[in-house]
Amino acid sequence: MSAVSVSRTAGQSSGARRDQRPANGKAAQARRERRAAFWFLLPDTLGLFVFVAVPMILAIVLGFFRIDGFGTFDFIGFDNYVRLVGDPQFWSSVRITLLYLVGVVPAIFILGLGLALLVQQRLPFVGLIRSMLFVPYVISLVVVAMVWQFMLGERTGVLSRLAALLGMENVSFLGEPNLALAAVVVVTVWFQMGYYMVIFLAGLQDIPGEYYEAARIDGAGAWQRFWHITFPLLRPTSFFVVITATVAVITGGLDLIFVLTGGGPAGATTLLIFYVYEQAFLFGELGYAAAVGSVLVLVMLIWSGLMFAVTRGGRVDNE
Amino acid sequence: MTNHLSRRGALRLGVAAAGGLGGAWALGGCSSSSAADRAPMQFWNNYSPQSQGDPNIVAQSDWFLDATARWADAGERPVQMVYIPGYTDPTNTRITTAFASGDGPDLFLISPGDFLRYYNGGVLTDLTPYMDQAAIDDYYPEALATRTVDGKVYGLPMEQEPLAVFYDIPSFEEAGLSEGDLPQTWDEMLETGRRLTGGQRAGLVFDTTPSYYQNFTFYPWVWQGGGDVIDPESQEAIFDSEAAVQALAMYGEAVRSGASPRTLPAGGDMVGAFTNGYAAMWHTGIWQVEAMRQNAPDHPYGVFPMPTPPGGEPTTVLGGWAFVVNSQGVDPDAAARFTVELMGSMSQESIDAAVQWNGVAKGNMPARRSVTEAIGNTGSFEDPILQQFRDEITPTGRGEPRYPPVVYKAVSNAIQKTMLAGADAQQQAEIAQSAIESYLETYEGGSLI
Repeated sequence: MSAVSVSRTAGQSSGARRDQRPANGKAAQARRERRAAFWFLLPDTLGLFVFVAVPMILAIVLGFFRIDGFGTFDFIGFDNYVRLVGDPQFWSSVRITLLYLVGVVPAIFILGLGLALLVQQRLPFVGLIRSMLFVPYVISLVVVAMVWQFMLGERTGVLSRLAALLGMENVSFLGEPNLALAAVVVVTVWFQMGYYMVIFLAGLQDIPGEYYEAARIDGAGAWQRFWHITFPLLRPTSFFVVITATVAVITGGLDLIFVLTGGGPAGATTLLIFYVYEQAFLFGELGYAAAVGSVLVLVMLIWSGLMFAVTRGGRVDNE
Repeated sequence: MTNHLSRRGALRLGVAAAGGLGGAWALGGCSSSSAADRAPMQFWNNYSPQSQGDPNIVAQSDWFLDATARWADAGERPVQMVYIPGYTDPTNTRITTAFASGDGPDLFLISPGDFLRYYNGGVLTDLTPYMDQAAIDDYYPEALATRTVDGKVYGLPMEQEPLAVFYDIPSFEEAGLSEGDLPQTWDEMLETGRRLTGGQRAGLVFDTTPSYYQNFTFYPWVWQGGGDVIDPESQEAIFDSEAAVQALAMYGEAVRSGASPRTLPAGGDMVGAFTNGYAAMWHTGIWQVEAMRQNAPDHPYGVFPMPTPPGGEPTTVLGGWAFVVNSQGVDPDAAARFTVELMGSMSQESIDAAVQWNGVAKGNMPARRSVTEAIGNTGSFEDPILQQFRDEITPTGRGEPRYPPVVYKAVSNAIQKTMLAGADAQQQAEIAQSAIESYLETYEGGSLI
């Protein structure tokens, strides 16, 4: 009895040790993984802190000062923000930026997705086609702007001459306030769509082929397969595209505008980011430019937050 | 044999390397502190040093290098020329950010449009104590006025660059026009522009991009009618005058009637536009004479003074760059002496240097009477177009105004909206007037002339 009892106790003890060993091992492994993750994340975190967070905080602080660009900093509280509310040129640039956004983001989304669906097919030279569509994205924006400036040139540009053949004489794509922003939208979409094509292509390749096979067996047509399989399963990718394209459109494009139109004609292409640049470096209003930039950051944060809240980060498992 | 470095060995090596670097830095610090007194002064500019093969660019670069070499040979603190690409573009951020971070150059070149920003920022050195009155009087008043505040000289102009209208002779001949058809009034100018417009050719090119440069080219049209942006005497805004409104209306009519394009042909390159038949007349400055000589020496072209409105006076604007000295630089006294000895002294060396610059290296109008006289004897201005600029156009010139950014922007908006958005000239002049008036209510700084 006692032997059995001893033996059972010993067995229980040994079993407990057997149960405990993997548990201890898991905990140790988890600790090691956490440590590894920490060291892997540290450089990026430091980089983000030094090169993004600190300048962002400094820019927000600068928005409360009047700065003459020669070492004088006068604390003026919210004066820059009050000025901003009553500044018609600020509101004009907000309106133009919104128009630009509305023109670019849907076009990028539709064209990027359309091109991704196209180059996903087994077409001849598909690798070459993918590369050619992506190439504009890796070209310097200054070069892009200069090339389009010549193509859109009044009277002499290829597109102006084509328009003349179609009966639109002396059309000035970059000199007419009503056309200039549309021209900038076209150029932006042209050089960005290849990048978003690649993003969508990656998303498409993540969708298991079995879903399509099952749908085909069930008799689903191409449109039904796209609408009921592709589009829902691309939601995380779509979310990423909308967020990054919006940020890129609102905070980018300075060099394009700078070379292509200089913010003209008659302010028709003065985007908010160009306005910030103009205030900071042309007029020396560094404090005011920082205030406008801070508002821009705030708007972007609210926009991103709303997007996350509405789409739950683009998750697909919410139904 | 393969050498494997152990972790401990690597650590030891790292410590040794860091120690070595630290020691080198410390030694460097010791030696640099002793050499700090002779550290060179930096001169930011858009001419030198440049190693391009074009003889004229080399001549301009060498002019600066020779001047700094002479200065250093005399035992003075050396001046290091620092070439800044895109320096003449007022939107170049390099100099702005350098001053914002307290690291501005010791000497730099400045255009009148930027003068007040630096003067009001308190970073310009008063050069008057370093100059003789005779040298100050030697400058043409219109060249020095926009660099002077309360009788004190803060910048020494190297040149005067007047505007005129350049015309392409083959385009005129193709349209059946001759020298006798060169316009003398605004109406004639627009009519000629319309006649010359056709196919790929723009008839009359005005600058169209919103910029300090566009304002610079616009001011003389206002002055011709007796108007101004700000009255130099009373310092009050007068941009809603009839003269300003008619100048704005003329720009609007030029585009509306098709005489002028909405954007610059050939990406703004007048030489390329003339040689390719893309433009017939171009409102621009004397620097194009050198550009034509370099790039299209055989292409026939001419120049005529800016036409005038009814009852108007022939007037042009004089641009040009000036030397200025940073009062917060390493040695403002030496920088000021360098500037005055090179540009603003009555010594023969100073006059000779300016003769070399205006007459030989750059080929533009001098800012000093003695230099004009000296060049007259050298035969440097044999080119009849340069002679026309010297004898006919420059004497009608007025210095480029030095308006702060807010004034610039108000005028720029009025030009852009009237010219390119079809807005009413009177209304735009009044909007600009109102913006300038409200700015002037609180403005403190150098006079706006």
